[in-house]
Amino acid sequence: MAHKKRKSKRRSSGKRRKSGRNHFPWVKILITLLVVVAGYVAFLDFQVYRQFEGNRWSLPARVYARPLELYAGLRLTPEQFAAELKALGYRSVSAARKAGEVSRNARRFQLISRPFMFWDGQESSRALRATFSGAHLIKLQDDRNGKPLALARLDPLEIGSIHTSRQEDRILLQLDDVPDILIQALIAVEDRKFYTHHGVSPRAIARAFWVNLQSGRVVQGGSTLTQQLVKNFFLSNQRSLRRKINEAIMALLLERRYTKDDILEAYLNEVYLAQDGQRAIHGFGLGSRFYFQRPPDELDIAQMALLVGMVKGPSWYDPRRHPERAVERRNLVLKVMFEQGIITRAQYQKARTEKLGLVKPAAGTSKTFPAFLDLVRRQLRRDYNESDLVTDGLRIFTTLDPQIQWSLQKSLDQRIRPLREKQPELQGAGLVSSSASGEVLALAGGRQAGYAGFNRALDAKRHVGSLIKPAVYLTALEQSDRYNLASLIDDKLLEYEQSGELWRPQNYDRIFHGQVMLYQALAHSYNVATARLGLDLGVDAVLRTLRRLSIDKPLNRYPSLFLGATDLSTLDVTTLYLNFASGGYHVPLRSIRAVLDADGVPLQRYALNIERVIDPAPAYLINRALQLVVTEGTARSLNRRFAPELGLAGKTGTTNDLRDSWYAGYDGEKLAVIWMGRDDNQPMGLTGASGALQVWSSLFAAIGAVPLQPGIPEGVVWRQVDTESGGLADNGCENTVQLPFIESGILPAAAPCARGSAGWLPKWLQ
Amino acid sequence: MKYLICLLLVLLSACSTTPQRSSPPVTDGTRPDGQASVPERLPGRVEVPPAVPAGGAIVALLDQADGYRQTGDISNEAATIERALRIEPGNARLWHRLAAARLDQDQPQQAEQLALKSNVLAAGDTRLQADNWRLVAKARWSMDDNAGARAAEKRAGELAGRI
Repeated sequence: MAHKKRKSKRRSSGKRRKSGRNHFPWVKILITLLVVVAGYVAFLDFQVYRQFEGNRWSLPARVYARPLELYAGLRLTPEQFAAELKALGYRSVSAARKAGEVSRNARRFQLISRPFMFWDGQESSRALRATFSGAHLIKLQDDRNGKPLALARLDPLEIGSIHTSRQEDRILLQLDDVPDILIQALIAVEDRKFYTHHGVSPRAIARAFWVNLQSGRVVQGGSTLTQQLVKNFFLSNQRSLRRKINEAIMALLLERRYTKDDILEAYLNEVYLAQDGQRAIHGFGLGSRFYFQRPPDELDIAQMALLVGMVKGPSWYDPRRHPERAVERRNLVLKVMFEQGIITRAQYQKARTEKLGLVKPAAGTSKTFPAFLDLVRRQLRRDYNESDLVTDGLRIFTTLDPQIQWSLQKSLDQRIRPLREKQPELQGAGLVSSSASGEVLALAGGRQAGYAGFNRALDAKRHVGSLIKPAVYLTALEQSDRYNLASLIDDKLLEYEQSGELWRPQNYDRIFHGQVMLYQALAHSYNVATARLGLDLGVDAVLRTLRRLSIDKPLNRYPSLFLGATDLSTLDVTTLYLNFASGGYHVPLRSIRAVLDADGVPLQRYALNIERVIDPAPAYLINRALQLVVTEGTARSLNRRFAPELGLAGKTGTTNDLRDSWYAGYDGEKLAVIWMGRDDNQPMGLTGASGALQVWSSLFAAIGAVPLQPGIPEGVVWRQVDTESGGLADNGCENTVQLPFIESGILPAAAPCARGSAGWLPKWLQ
Repeated sequence: MKYLICLLLVLLSACSTTPQRSSPPVTDGTRPDGQASVPERLPGRVEVPPAVPAGGAIVALLDQADGYRQTGDISNEAATIERALRIEPGNARLWHRLAAARLDQDQPQQAEQLALKSNVLAAGDTRLQADNWRLVAKARWSMDDNAGARAAEKRAGELAGRI
């Protein structure tokens, strides 16, 4: 329209030039003015075009937890399932009819899943029936016909977005995603003539002007939706006549170039609806998520009315801070909706009595995981520019398992809370990973869930104490011509001079235990025997082992290394123990599975990679030794809570004066490393077994333990060994232990108690 | 001499019937004064979970992986097998499938590692072990590790002979 006007004016001014010589200077000025105006309008038009066509919004990267895979056989309690559905914003109803609804009858759930676009394609919405028994999902069916379903994937929990400070955040919607009622309500309240005006509404402006003049202040705005969009979209917030004029011109230009639907869609995505700390919540997509934890097409009438009402003043009507104002505003919107025939009287009367229905994160199921997000960010920064992360709308699929995360945080809290009176500074950290794939399933950076601060799991580097010992014992077991699990080591006074100083390691109980088998020295964490073994092997050999097991941090190069006098983080310890838990493979830790661009095209996949770093036979032996730590060693209190057949493995760690309490332990599928201590590195009174091990224990009791049963590699044989002498036993011996040996390496001689092995010489005679 | 040894053995076995040495005091973990050496069992103990086979889910995912393979989408094929592995990380066949996919993705080194991992898990399954060694041989050929490839083929042959 503006273009047409411009052209006709030009033509008429041309005529004038020929007809009246007297008016010549005026005409010239007029032409100049028109050219300037036309140029300015063209400039604005270009701006409108460029903004609207180009990247309209900078979109922060969105981060998702792992999607919950449902299948018969899944280990999940009905309570855990209910908690996950709640976190996902599924509504409890008596019979699920729409996506995002669930009905529960004791151990039976009926739900309609939401559709979701994953890195490997679309998962469509499905009607599901899930039946639980004990701690397992035992039956998954298609709810429409009762047929068994092999597998269904729920939409993943969104756990955060990566944005700069003071950034706008939004979830883009298409017009079809928004319910008609919401759109009609918005138009009824904000701009009734939206479908008929050309961008500005002179009558509305006049009416507003009149009302404002009468009251002497700005009471009513005459802005159309188009003008509001232009104002938010292109212009600064300052109030000036020039801005008003620009706003009007641009609104006209926008209407000329684009359809009403285009404008409406842009408006729905642009409108400012809330403030979340530094983050500005824009658009009905994120607004709906922010207030109700569900997409707009799952909102009820009262909720839609509240969102529409918020447009007028998100902070004035903030339903969390001013619920009574918000209810009043919502009911006003509902009244307009009823008067305009958008809703029936019955709907109106029901909706105005509804509660606000805002989401509050339930206790223990926080949806913010700052420590884990910190790890994700660090991994992303290696591969992406920060600017792409905050503007390109990337979608990041992570490995976080909310169930395990909640359990980890709860277990830490349970252990720390009762001690806080005496130890107010007590802190903790933990990392749970999948042994086979190296996926980080949960990460706690401190005792407080949801608190973004010092990330102890990644950044607190502390003495690891006995946690280092398996590296010493593995170094020995790899020399199968010299050592086996039954090799005898002297646990007696050891004095070693290093650079003029005398090193005299002590056992925790300050007792020497005499000749002990290699596995016993590890299981009971004897320091003196370990130091002697380490000295036998040499510091360099143990350092080489640690390097091979991917510990690339600077390490202590003195024999005190054997007893863990070296600083590592929970993450480093996880890296170390994954080598054991995976059966001898280096499995790089990963917190991201895939990154997709804004259109859902995969940009990058972080695929599973493994590398064998320990031969299968010694890997099997060290696993057995770490199982014996639980069977009879320092972690044996676990047997009170876990069946011995689970074959749990792990190692406690305690540092001097009880400054650090560590436990690194694993079952058949998961490894968890727990640390407890104080940030100022002062003693806090807990050993590995009385602190971290307890956290581990309640964690695995909550998430369930899977048996650890590594397959016996070729060349490994099992033998019965006399616990007394370390010799091969038979039924003549009373106390025996089953140990694996490398067949080609040295084997123990017959035990003195053995009757049937006449051909063997007792070890002491050799 | 023989008698002497016999005598000694008799003496020693006699020794071993004397009361057992109490289990060594626990150091790292419990107080030096010690705790009850046999932990009592708590009610609500975590037992070995009942075997609820997730076979249906694995079959469905392998079908899906086959679908991707037929359309030449190896990347999604591998991603789908990884999805199955998250459900059953101890399934040797899945590791073998992933190894095969990595070979098609032109990652022979990973293919070799994954096939070897499958072999550790495939204890007792000679046929799968032979398949794994064949895959290792292929991977090694493509990395110009000819000696290694021949050794792997030999292993595959030996195992195949045992079937």
